[in-house]
Amino acid sequence: MGSKILPQWASKPCAMGIDEAGRGPVLGPMVYGCLYCAQSYMKTLATLSFADSKTLKEEKREELFETLKTNESIGWAVDVIDPRELSAKMLKKNKINLNEISHDSAMGLVDRVLKMGVLLTEVYIDTVGDPGKYEMKLSKNFPSIKFVVAKKADSLYPVVSGASIVAKVTRDRALREWVLDETAENMQRNFGSGYPGDPKTKDWLEDHKHHIFGFPTLVRFSWGTCNSYFKDVAQVLWESDNLDEDGGGGSNSNGKRQLKLSNVGFFSTSKRRSEEVESSGKGRCRFFQARKLEHLTNF
Amino acid sequence: MENATVDLKPHGEDLSGRVHQLPCCVKHDGPASVSHYFKPKHNGVSDEGLPLQEAHFRGRLLQGTTLQLPQGYSGFVLAKKTSPASSKQNSNSWDTKATFQDITYWNHDYVPSHNDEMFRAFHWLTVAKALHDPVTPEDLSSSSFAL
Repeated sequence: MGSKILPQWASKPCAMGIDEAGRGPVLGPMVYGCLYCAQSYMKTLATLSFADSKTLKEEKREELFETLKTNESIGWAVDVIDPRELSAKMLKKNKINLNEISHDSAMGLVDRVLKMGVLLTEVYIDTVGDPGKYEMKLSKNFPSIKFVVAKKADSLYPVVSGASIVAKVTRDRALREWVLDETAENMQRNFGSGYPGDPKTKDWLEDHKHHIFGFPTLVRFSWGTCNSYFKDVAQVLWESDNLDEDGGGGSNSNGKRQLKLSNVGFFSTSKRRSEEVESSGKGRCRFFQARKLEHLTNF
Repeated sequence: MENATVDLKPHGEDLSGRVHQLPCCVKHDGPASVSHYFKPKHNGVSDEGLPLQEAHFRGRLLQGTTLQLPQGYSGFVLAKKTSPASSKQNSNSWDTKATFQDITYWNHDYVPSHNDEMFRAFHWLTVAKALHDPVTPEDLSSSSFAL
């Protein structure tokens, strides 16, 4: 989603802001949004009363989004990351943490806008993780662009404030229009904001946890919040978790937190045994071992 | 060892297309609303030409494929017989509850291929056949000649 036609001004030096919405919530998509314009338009942009999207009321944000979409001096784009994708990546055998996913999304937007033919010279972005390291990563990937990575960039730079409106409105709409995968009866859509502290979200999670399936796929299973709801659901043991214990885990900088995430989905008190997950063919000849064919005398 | 009987009858519900093998152990025995929560999507064909499916379970991305059981073989779902005649506490008599002709197996994080254990397990059927087929005098003479 985003602007499709390449405007005239795009061949002049342009600036872009990038911001995210829905990083913290335990459910729904995470959205990265960007907004770009000619450097010469930056002064006018500052008068458009974009502010950090969080400080604006929802109606005001919607209104601003509609105005900026019709503004021919502005371009925009979004990347909507599905909660299923977030869970899957964070629960892979080689886990990808949320910072990496965020970096990839932001860089994906830069890449997309460059490929459209926009002459980006400056990109402003809210930091994820250490600003210095993030800036180095961005500059390495896009040497022709000057990156300004800052905390609270969304309230410091109007171009980032604009991007935050694009992201926030897209996330809110996506959640509002979300079609649940699950077809079970009594599936409600009153998820609230999705933030783990929101009483509406808490109630929804409590009402929609499932003994076998855990939660609907709208929920980010990799969030620590889920564990507190999983105390009485069926335990699930994964082959990949067994691999983790053999030391095959990722070389992640965030190793400790990721290890904890691998426990998501079950209440881990008992020792895991690989035999519980799959047959092994242990002690048999190689033909059977390689095929995990166990000799069964009783069942 | 106590005598066991297994009653394999080609009756009961046909579960073809609904038998899934997951790469995990769910510590629960009993019915579950699988079709409402587990939604496999067909997802193209692998390099090897296997038709692929994709599904999510407990946040993990699973990639699967459906494997037909070889000609002449069937899958059986068995349950312990509960007839009053075998009122022994630990009866070891089994009855067919359902049958199936295919299995959809799922991998966590990698694309299904013919190298997966599930496919390779079926090699045993060929080996078993060779081992257990009656040997004719002609077979014997030709093999001793080869030696």
